[in-house]
Amino acid sequence: MIYFDHAATSFPKPSAVVDGVCECLKICAGNAGRGAYRSSLQAAELLYDCRSEAAKAFGADLPEQVVFTAGATAALNQAICGSLRNGDHVLLSDLEHNAVFRPVWKLAKEGKITYTVFPTFAADPTATPEMILNGIRERIRPNTKLLVCTHASNVCSAVLPVAKIGALCRRYGIRFVVDAAQSAGHMPTDLKAFSANAVCIPGHKGLCGPQGVGLLILDKDTVLEPILQGGSGVGSLNPEMPEDPPERYEAGTLPLPAIAGLREGLKLFRVRSFASVRLHEKLLWESLADELQTVPGITVAAQHFSGSVFSFWSDRLGSEPLAAELDKRGICVRAGFHCAALAHKTLGTPPGGALRVSFGDENTLEQTHIFANAVREILF
Amino acid sequence: MPVQTNGELCLLPIGAITQAMRAREVLARGGISATVVRNDPAATGFGCAYAVSYPCEQDRMVRRLLRGAGFRTRGGGKV
Repeated sequence: MIYFDHAATSFPKPSAVVDGVCECLKICAGNAGRGAYRSSLQAAELLYDCRSEAAKAFGADLPEQVVFTAGATAALNQAICGSLRNGDHVLLSDLEHNAVFRPVWKLAKEGKITYTVFPTFAADPTATPEMILNGIRERIRPNTKLLVCTHASNVCSAVLPVAKIGALCRRYGIRFVVDAAQSAGHMPTDLKAFSANAVCIPGHKGLCGPQGVGLLILDKDTVLEPILQGGSGVGSLNPEMPEDPPERYEAGTLPLPAIAGLREGLKLFRVRSFASVRLHEKLLWESLADELQTVPGITVAAQHFSGSVFSFWSDRLGSEPLAAELDKRGICVRAGFHCAALAHKTLGTPPGGALRVSFGDENTLEQTHIFANAVREILF
Repeated sequence: MPVQTNGELCLLPIGAITQAMRAREVLARGGISATVVRNDPAATGFGCAYAVSYPCEQDRMVRRLLRGAGFRTRGGGKV
């Protein structure tokens, strides 16, 4: 099998991650934050250790700034819905995933907020960060309270100038939320460097953890309205959720085994060199671009390498039938719209969407060669 | 120099488990060995909470260190 769907979820998981999950299931009996018996405290230690690792990795000063969520989608929902009040205006980019677009759209549909999409010029190879910043400035309104954008697109890997966007938001007093679903683990992702109020991260993609856990990294001074209410292990007589993070946003029992695996993923991530990760991704991306250049009728979503995602479409066969044929040859890729209608519209993909190849550590140049040959064989 | 202790333990209410663990970490960095314990819900007035427990001789230092790290240090006392 050739696995080229790392943007959906990483595979294979590192053995340390698998062992972390299994060990936890075997030995962690207690529920963290719910008692003071030894195994409850042992579980709490594990959570605290994972929070500390994540805080170091993503530019938070304190472990309390690390909130465990069910995934990046849950983190984004908390950051977006927990930031807005009736009458607020939101800015989002034209590359957003539905994890950003749908919560914003729902609030707008209910008449609570308004939103404006700003252009990223992702299909324009001559675009500059200044063009994006100007587009944002032109769309800021007196009631603009929030800007949400992806760090790296899940369709074309375009990387937005988030540090510059964050600085702009600070100047205008706008809360800034970054969707780091495709960047965390692949490139430096840092709350402070981005001047962000919140960075939302999945555990199971670039960090190679299990599915079922994500991270919401919060700025120290950012307080959100919790979207989930329930038990937190503290202040049980108070009908309100606790004031202090992270428990304020963590109603219910946390997925301890998934967090145990994520902790191991974060430890591996700590010793990673982004330069070597990027070089590996660039080699694979450019090799595939070279190979597919010789196949007639193929359009590539991005002209240059910017990340681990490579999307294209053919004028001979739709992306879904092409993916099905590749599957018969043992190649796993994702076709369609990748839960990102805005991005597909921006990139001008055809009615069947695009076929996305996304790379991970285990992928090789030989695999890109096998893939390109398979595409040639299917199309001609 | 090791702190002389008469064996009495003090307890300072902190709040949620994460805060209590960071409090313990702050104290460890200041050379004080503390443990995370459950606070008696009857004493908090708001229900469940965690506290740190430490030798009473170090109470002033504990409160100073924790205040410096942004913790509220009201209440508490001998166990």
